[in-house]
Amino acid sequence: MSDATMPVEVVSAERHVLSGEITEIYARAVEGEIGILPGHQPALIALDIGPVRMRMSDGSLQQVAVHHGVLFVGDDGKVIVLADIAEPASDIDVARAERRKRIIEERLAHTTDPALRRSLRKQQLRVELGED
Amino acid sequence: MAGSGQIRQLKRRIRSVQSTQKITRAMEMIAASRILKAQARVRAARPYAEQIHDVIKGLAVSNEVRAHPLLQVRDLERVAVIVNTSDRGLAGAYNANVLKVADRTIREEESAGRNVDLYVVGKKGAGYYAYRGRRPTRIWQGISDTPVIEDAAAVAEVVMDRFSNADIDRVWLVYTDFKSALTQSPVRMELLPVKPEEFGGGREISPDFMYEPSQGELLDRLIPRYVEAKMLHGLLESAASEHANRQRAMKAATDNAKEVAANLSRIMNQARQDQITSEISEIVGGAEALNE
Repeated sequence: MSDATMPVEVVSAERHVLSGEITEIYARAVEGEIGILPGHQPALIALDIGPVRMRMSDGSLQQVAVHHGVLFVGDDGKVIVLADIAEPASDIDVARAERRKRIIEERLAHTTDPALRRSLRKQQLRVELGED
Repeated sequence: MAGSGQIRQLKRRIRSVQSTQKITRAMEMIAASRILKAQARVRAARPYAEQIHDVIKGLAVSNEVRAHPLLQVRDLERVAVIVNTSDRGLAGAYNANVLKVADRTIREEESAGRNVDLYVVGKKGAGYYAYRGRRPTRIWQGISDTPVIEDAAAVAEVVMDRFSNADIDRVWLVYTDFKSALTQSPVRMELLPVKPEEFGGGREISPDFMYEPSQGELLDRLIPRYVEAKMLHGLLESAASEHANRQRAMKAATDNAKEVAANLSRIMNQARQDQITSEISEIVGGAEALNE
């Protein structure tokens, strides 16, 4: 089991983010956390705002901040993450995300706009992943 | 008689033309480098659009997509036109060309007795319609130069909301298609309603697939993403076309400046020679008068 890998491809609306061979992938689905190992049954799963963590075949960990999208496991075992927005942890500008998070938090003190709440979650995710 | 005053004036004009030439040359080179970047972004966005299309096609085989609010075909009463123009000028006929297609679309829809709502991306388009007394329902500025998915989603969301509420019955997207570095042509595309044929011909997804949430809910989530991807495509193609048009316009301006400077220096040289000739003949004339 431990030797088995599966190809993965992470694509955002703007660009191809990464591809490679992985041994496991974890993501936050709309209905809860999911983990997928090689040999998983074909699936189509809607993703929430959350980190997608992948263990690459060389043992390194890749983290991508994903803001909505779907995770597709084909019947050939290939995993495709189609994200509205996807940022590799290494690309995240933490200082900027912190700044924007604070601005949104201040504004949220006065209103309860659901769109603003979603933006806050996106910034929180950026900060969380970027700091790792 | 050419005097030194005229020569000085010509010199000043040549210098001014040459400094304009430096500016247009710089703008030409900036635009040229941005075309490549914009083209790369068009290409980079393609895999997502293709894959989301494939997934929807797969789901559409065993699911009725026609019921989705964005696929509803109604009697056309009110039609929306989204026009992609640029924020900045100096791009040749770029804006004029795309606005021509937009105007034709508006005219056709209005002569068919439909109301037209106008959505404008770009300062140039906003100015054009303000001058003609047509008030756009919504204007977006500052996104046409380097559009990102959030911009595309913001524009798409407005029309998708109104379409789903049956406020509008059709949405045209008018943009400029980047065919190659030499040709860009304004085109229009029917963004909404999404046609069910677009999702035809999919390969059936095997029955042991697991769905989370249900297939119907997944389709509801994916179809708006598909529309956003199309909107982004239009914005990205337009941005690449804008840079290509600006590069061409600035190249023409640089060439013209070069020609003007060459003509002016020819006139200046002639004036200088005339001046020298007349000075010599004055000296010769003076010397002869003394000899007599």
